[in-house]
Amino acid sequence: MKLNALRAGMVFTSAVFICLLAVGISHGSDAVADTGNCLLCHRYPSIGRYDEEGTKRVFYVNDKKFAASVHGKLACKNCHVGLDKIPHTDVKKVDCATKCHLKEPSTNQEFSHANMVEKFNASVHGRGSAENPKPFAEDLPTCKYCHDNRMYNPFQGMWGSSEALSNETLARCIGCHTKEDWAKNFYSHFTHRMRQRRTHAEVVKLCTSCHEDSEKMARHGVESIETFKDTFHWNLVRYGVKNAPDCISCHVPLGYSTHDIRPREDPVSPLHIFNRIKTCSNQGGMQVCHPGATAQFAGGRVHAYGTKAQMLVGNRISDYQGVETARLLKRAEADISPEDLFHFTVLKIIKIVYKILIGGTILFMGFHQWLDFLAAKRKQKQLKG
Amino acid sequence: MGNNELVLDGGSLPVTDTATGKRYFVRLNRAERLQHMIFAACFIVLVITGFMLKVPDRVVLYFGQFGETVFSYRSLLHRTAGVVMILVCVYHVYYLIFKAAGRRWLIDMLPRPKDLWDMRDNFLYFIHVKKEPPEFDRFCYKHKIEYGALIAGTTIVSVTGLILWSQSEWSKFVVDIATLVHGMEAILACLAIMIWHFYEVLFKPHKSPLDDTWLTGVIDEEEMKEEYALHQKES
Repeated sequence: MKLNALRAGMVFTSAVFICLLAVGISHGSDAVADTGNCLLCHRYPSIGRYDEEGTKRVFYVNDKKFAASVHGKLACKNCHVGLDKIPHTDVKKVDCATKCHLKEPSTNQEFSHANMVEKFNASVHGRGSAENPKPFAEDLPTCKYCHDNRMYNPFQGMWGSSEALSNETLARCIGCHTKEDWAKNFYSHFTHRMRQRRTHAEVVKLCTSCHEDSEKMARHGVESIETFKDTFHWNLVRYGVKNAPDCISCHVPLGYSTHDIRPREDPVSPLHIFNRIKTCSNQGGMQVCHPGATAQFAGGRVHAYGTKAQMLVGNRISDYQGVETARLLKRAEADISPEDLFHFTVLKIIKIVYKILIGGTILFMGFHQWLDFLAAKRKQKQLKG
Repeated sequence: MGNNELVLDGGSLPVTDTATGKRYFVRLNRAERLQHMIFAACFIVLVITGFMLKVPDRVVLYFGQFGETVFSYRSLLHRTAGVVMILVCVYHVYYLIFKAAGRRWLIDMLPRPKDLWDMRDNFLYFIHVKKEPPEFDRFCYKHKIEYGALIAGTTIVSVTGLILWSQSEWSKFVVDIATLVHGMEAILACLAIMIWHFYEVLFKPHKSPLDDTWLTGVIDEEEMKEEYALHQKES
């Protein structure tokens, strides 16, 4: 009897739940078209769980914020595939190469980031192909590592820095494009590209979040970012100079894609020796860098010499494990030319000479003045006595 | 004291204060004091604006949204002070060649074997082996070491500074050397000034809290006798 009552209760609850889903209760907000009725559950800030690794996962969606984001016009199911079952036991990880059923206006084809994903996979940050996967792939970034779902904010540009600018411009658009939502989205999408998404310091912070980990970098034959923080470029960045060169200023200058960063020996890399003058002079770009850069100037090394050069002259090998040492050494031999090594040695000698000079001079001066002080005090005493 | 002595050439003849009858000796004439003042001001500006590139990130964070403005003034001030300092040096060379007081300065500043013996004797005096310090002429070995270091240091920082200013014209290797040398020389110069010069003019027991010769240009007879006995005997 009790069992039947329990069953009846469960059936009733399920029926109500399904009805609610079927009817598609409106959340009461027109901020986002919730066609899948996902907000029925995901509007609650406390929704979430702890995954197998003990990490807290929050599944709350702020619909207003989402609607104002770059993906605000998409339905949840466009990106989150496999949500049909509740609870979502068969949900798949978001694949940014998925076609999201929006029409890309220039081609009238279904939109997808597949071309970017393809470029990315072939880049230094990509995980390689199925046949030729990169080692330590778990270290490499995914799309979401750099891209969060950014909000469309009022445009702040060279003509002003207030929300009023957006309001006035948008008002002119709406004069002809009467569907306000569409006009606002189009305007936001367009102006979003006109401003720098991150400050220079934020770009460096993002890149350093991986590139500062010297062990992780060594596994991939790369040096730690400390070699950048030893440059004048970094000084401009940390003081917040708008014209400052951050990582992407040189690694992804005008005409290149952040998704397609290649090793510098690749002829399509902006750091390839043949492309250096163009990169340093940044002709046509917003930043004014070294417009008069010569081949001699641009051909030089920008980052300070770091671990690789140190390894080649026999230092710092003990800092790393076997795998890291082997990979770093292999890359060091390819990256540091004999000429570079000569430069590094000369700079090192100058540094040592100056250290000895400074140490010697200061020791001599300090010793002399200390004795002088004692003698002067002694004389003062004698005169008083 | 009248104004005549202000343009005297740092010779050993005393000038007399008409009001008190006290005798003074000119150590630095007006031109020399002016050179020193401008050079010192430039040095201070260069040190502050230069080492702003070396301070830790947390210090830079204090500037907040004004960081860019601070940085642009830093760059402007550093270059301006550098140019003024070079101009003072150029004038000083002119002064040494074409002015009587300058020529005398140069001759008095030239190193001599006596400087080495003076340094040895002074160390012996420091360690109680000798009862009295050596008698110094107008410029003793301490001045000559400092003046020599100043010539070498200023030449090095000026040349490397100009290379950095025109960096696009040079190879990156030259720029790297210039950057390294400019910074290391600046550290050396600062420490030397603090330990050698500041001790002599600020911290030395009978000079503390400040030797005002850089302002007045003169020292009294007692100090002259004490520190430059040989020079005084020439009078």
